[in-house]
Amino acid sequence: MKKYLLKRVLYMVLTLFLVATITFFLMKLMPGTPYSNQEKMTPQQIKIMNQQYGLDKPIWMQYVIYIFGMVHGDLGTSFQFSNQPVSYLISSRIGASAQLGVQAMLFGVILGIIVGSVAAIYRNTWVDTTATVLSIIGKSVPNFVLAVLLQYYISLKLGWFPIADWEGFSYTILPTIALGVGPLAETARFIRTGMVDVLNSDYIELARAKGMNKFGIIYHHALRNSLIPLVTLIGPYTVALMTGSMVIENIFSIPGIGEQYVKSIQTNDYPTIMGVTMLFCFGLVLIILITDIIYGIIDPRIRLTGNED
Amino acid sequence: MKLKKFATAGAVVAVSALTLAACGSKSSSGDSKQVLNWDESAELPSMDLSKATDVVSFNQLNNTLEGLYRLGKDSKVEPGLAKKTHVSDDGLTYTFDLRKSKWSNGDDLTAKDFVYSWQRTVDPKTGSQYAYLFDGVKNANAIMDGKKKTSELGIKADGDYKLTVNLEKQIPYFKLLMGFPVFFPQNEKVVKDAGSKYGTASKYMVYNGPFKLTKWTGSNLSWSLNKNGKYWDKKNVKLDKINYKVNKSNSTSYNLYKTDKLDATPLSSQQAKQLKNDKEFLARKAASTFYFQYNQTQKRFQNKKIRQALSLAVNREQLTKKVLGDGSTVSKGLVSKDLAKNKGKDFADQAYVKEGVQNDNKKAKKLWQEGMKEVGESKMDINLLSDDTDKAKDTTEFVQSQIESTLGDSVNVHVQNVPFKTRLTRSEQGDFDMVISAWGADFADPISFLDLFTSDNSQNDGEWKNGEYDKLIQASKTTDAGDADKRWDDLVQAEKILAQEQGVAPLYQQSTAWMVKDKVKGVIYNSSGANYNFKDAYIKE
Repeated sequence: MKKYLLKRVLYMVLTLFLVATITFFLMKLMPGTPYSNQEKMTPQQIKIMNQQYGLDKPIWMQYVIYIFGMVHGDLGTSFQFSNQPVSYLISSRIGASAQLGVQAMLFGVILGIIVGSVAAIYRNTWVDTTATVLSIIGKSVPNFVLAVLLQYYISLKLGWFPIADWEGFSYTILPTIALGVGPLAETARFIRTGMVDVLNSDYIELARAKGMNKFGIIYHHALRNSLIPLVTLIGPYTVALMTGSMVIENIFSIPGIGEQYVKSIQTNDYPTIMGVTMLFCFGLVLIILITDIIYGIIDPRIRLTGNED
Repeated sequence: MKLKKFATAGAVVAVSALTLAACGSKSSSGDSKQVLNWDESAELPSMDLSKATDVVSFNQLNNTLEGLYRLGKDSKVEPGLAKKTHVSDDGLTYTFDLRKSKWSNGDDLTAKDFVYSWQRTVDPKTGSQYAYLFDGVKNANAIMDGKKKTSELGIKADGDYKLTVNLEKQIPYFKLLMGFPVFFPQNEKVVKDAGSKYGTASKYMVYNGPFKLTKWTGSNLSWSLNKNGKYWDKKNVKLDKINYKVNKSNSTSYNLYKTDKLDATPLSSQQAKQLKNDKEFLARKAASTFYFQYNQTQKRFQNKKIRQALSLAVNREQLTKKVLGDGSTVSKGLVSKDLAKNKGKDFADQAYVKEGVQNDNKKAKKLWQEGMKEVGESKMDINLLSDDTDKAKDTTEFVQSQIESTLGDSVNVHVQNVPFKTRLTRSEQGDFDMVISAWGADFADPISFLDLFTSDNSQNDGEWKNGEYDKLIQASKTTDAGDADKRWDDLVQAEKILAQEQGVAPLYQQSTAWMVKDKVKGVIYNSSGANYNFKDAYIKE
């Protein structure tokens, strides 16, 4: 197990390094300068600025300098927010995105499990059909459409929740729903399919023959087994949600990281692009590792290390 | 012990109750607080006036700081820190008597704060993107190029309240510039104490303007401007507080506006089309013109008739009303309307050349055929470069259909919508046939636009060249610089040449549609530079 972990961590570092390298060089291919007033500056002024920020050096040298800084925990300073360290920019805005992502995931997964289970138990009845139709709708309606509708009807017309802003739990409810409907639909579909399979298997028949009641079977046998495929889904999904949804953040005026990322790319804010990309990437490889470990624990059929241990 | 705690708690409650009661009676006596809730559509990136580059920053700087002058309605120069100004006969030396005033931390504001601020901005180490506005101040360019020391800049403090500025050449709009934030003073001690954190959060800043910035952490989505008790003219500041809230979605901010959480909100063009007859609707003209540039290194675009035909084929009325619908207006010329006036006459009206911005399909066709013959082509493919925003895409689509339907089969327009920075870079490199460019003026003078199209200007991407135009612009800066009327005529003539020759073809002047509550009064909006001045604003309940 230790050996396995060590190997995986090494792979993680290698992945991060590769992503950093590829992103850096791709980013440098983008035309233009990181100066927002580029339009009005003369070529001479741009040259002076480039010297100031070390952008006149050959790209490979800039790369070495960047990687050296990154290894030492220095992500540089932003161009859009002048003098603002990228690490501060990220840390001040990742909180809201992460909270929203986790809430949306919890909301989606828990409700999805319930809906999926109910649909499987009552399969081929109207309950099942309704659940299926709803999850198809949930999957296909874009979350920003839902967000705008929720904002208009629930907040503006009914006044139940604040329209926008991020000042307390009540402010998080509508964005959580808007963002959580996607994972809800996805989870429900997964659970239903998994559970239908499981419910048809021999050991469920046996449990039933022993006289176990319906919900006991579902809870003890069926649900646990049908949760396994879900583990693969949840990990990356959570990272994707935590790292910010630009559209939802914009609609509800949430101080998250989503839009900053997109904007940094549009404005050639090199240090921010790198910083946020590396953060996303780190979150993703970490969660994949955790998922694999959890997999081994909850499903004894999967062994992490072959026959060695 | 317990009893003691209880008593303390009791006292606290009693005191707060009293305080609350006091507050209550105060507000009921009609002395309600003057609070304005304003929408902003982007974060505030910087409060360092040497490094700021965007409208949000300039607006906050303009309301929290003050320079030698403050720009009032129609960019009129109003008194700021300069109590008295003396200009030498040759127009090259300005002497200012400063009024006694204080920074918000209690420090005296002296002439040295101006000297320090200006030197800091032109210092190449600072990396200011607006330092070019110092062009004309003695030695500024040499310092920016690293050839001279910052101490050699043409600004000197004689004692605490006398400031002398030396120029290399006359700058007829010098006073206007003094109302732009890059020329405001900075407190050296505060800048040095904050070090690299200067301008990154409200706690590292001091102010000398009508308001003080609070609750800004550097990247958050709300902040406030509170009345500055140390401002020299505080008795004329009516608002107690301006709450800013960043909403990036116009539907969100409009919902907040409807529920009275905001007193003003910008609108999307969709919303603007629906609300344009509302009494709270307002189209704010920006000093920003969108125009065609033709790549005149290509032989076909050196032909005037070709350029004219392409411009005449576009129905600008429809473009602004139907396609954009955000209050944008048809340009009268390159220089935007409501920017500059001389003797009560708007520059845009005086320099208006009808054929320059008109739609005349018959004439367009005729000129097109003649032009095609002259350049010896029978069919033309034209790449039209533009931004990739929704608005830019709508515009290019419209322009493409207009040109193709008017000029017929002999022209094919290929639209290329690219990201902003790509558009800039390709324009600079001359990698385009036709491009829709935009220019916004930094200060309220026509030269802010007209400087662009002199032969050697690096922003003249289409490389249109006209000797007479160059001469007129040159005269406005040299021989006629001291004579406001002559200079004005030079610039009017220059713009007329640009329009007649179709060096560029202006399309529209940008506007932003807003809803502003009736009770909000006295807000000064200028189309160029730092747009908003809230010094005189108030709420009428």
